[in-house]
Amino acid sequence: MKKNLYIIFKQAIYYPENQLSDDIFRAINNKEAKSAKIKLWIYSSAVALSLAGLIPAIKDLSLQFSNSGFYEYLSLAFSSNGSIISYWKEFMLSLADSLPVESLMFSLLLLFIFFISTRLVMRQFKDKLLTA
Amino acid sequence: MQDSDEELIVEYLKGNQQAFKALVERYTAHLYNFSRRFVGATAAPDIVQETFIKVWKNIRKFDTSRAHFKTWMFTIARNTVIDYMRKKKIAVFSDLNKNEDESFSESLPDNVILPDEALQKLEDRKFLNKLLDQIPPMYREVLILYYQEEMTFSEIGEMLDKPLNTVKSHHRRALKQLKKMTLNNQTQ
Repeated sequence: MKKNLYIIFKQAIYYPENQLSDDIFRAINNKEAKSAKIKLWIYSSAVALSLAGLIPAIKDLSLQFSNSGFYEYLSLAFSSNGSIISYWKEFMLSLADSLPVESLMFSLLLLFIFFISTRLVMRQFKDKLLTA
Repeated sequence: MQDSDEELIVEYLKGNQQAFKALVERYTAHLYNFSRRFVGATAAPDIVQETFIKVWKNIRKFDTSRAHFKTWMFTIARNTVIDYMRKKKIAVFSDLNKNEDESFSESLPDNVILPDEALQKLEDRKFLNKLLDQIPPMYREVLILYYQEEMTFSEIGEMLDKPLNTVKSHHRRALKQLKKMTLNNQTQ
């Protein structure tokens, strides 16, 4: 009876119009293209903004380095005769203390965003080329 | 030999768009038949399309070690059907479950035998479809998934999130109703 029921039920299957699969695939492609466009726009904006932010951030960072006395401490490392080796702990602490941490972190963050978003933009282009 | 669903998913995730197209082509008719049983011929194509869009959006989250693709996809289709029915204020499977009396299922015999006379009547496609339309959705879905999609009771249970015995009892009740309606010729 079970076998008969399988056969009977199979005969009663409803079938869709022939083009339904194509319509669905087209709808998915459109969504994919739209989503890729939005992603590309977001990542490109991130590249542009991080690049625009990086220029003043690096200028500010270099100014902060000059004002903090970091370069003076660093030059000591090359000019002093052995005293740095004796007091290397104190020297490292002073060097670290003179670092413009906030400015440095901000610049590194912008650099990170720039590289990541550039990579994502490249990937979007690569996907576009693959699907074309 | 045809690629398995899981192989096609792996291919698609590697960037082969045609692999997803193959999945769409493979399952469009199955999902259409399932959806049409609950939402009718007009809404069924939209349900199928929505289901595939959800599948496409979530395919990266699909874990091949936890479920079969077909079961996972039909679960999405069922949820899409339920959302549609709720929007249209049609009684859905879960609402009907509330009235279910589990003790009743225990009193049912293990096998419901459909006599030859009933089977002969059911061979009429239109007649069977009319009967299926009249069977409560929660029984109808078990019949469709079991006989048309050839899913096992445990796969159906996984899909409906119901214990195996409940699925079996729904199947028995569905057959009992089908038998009664066929013999009484209650197609209205």
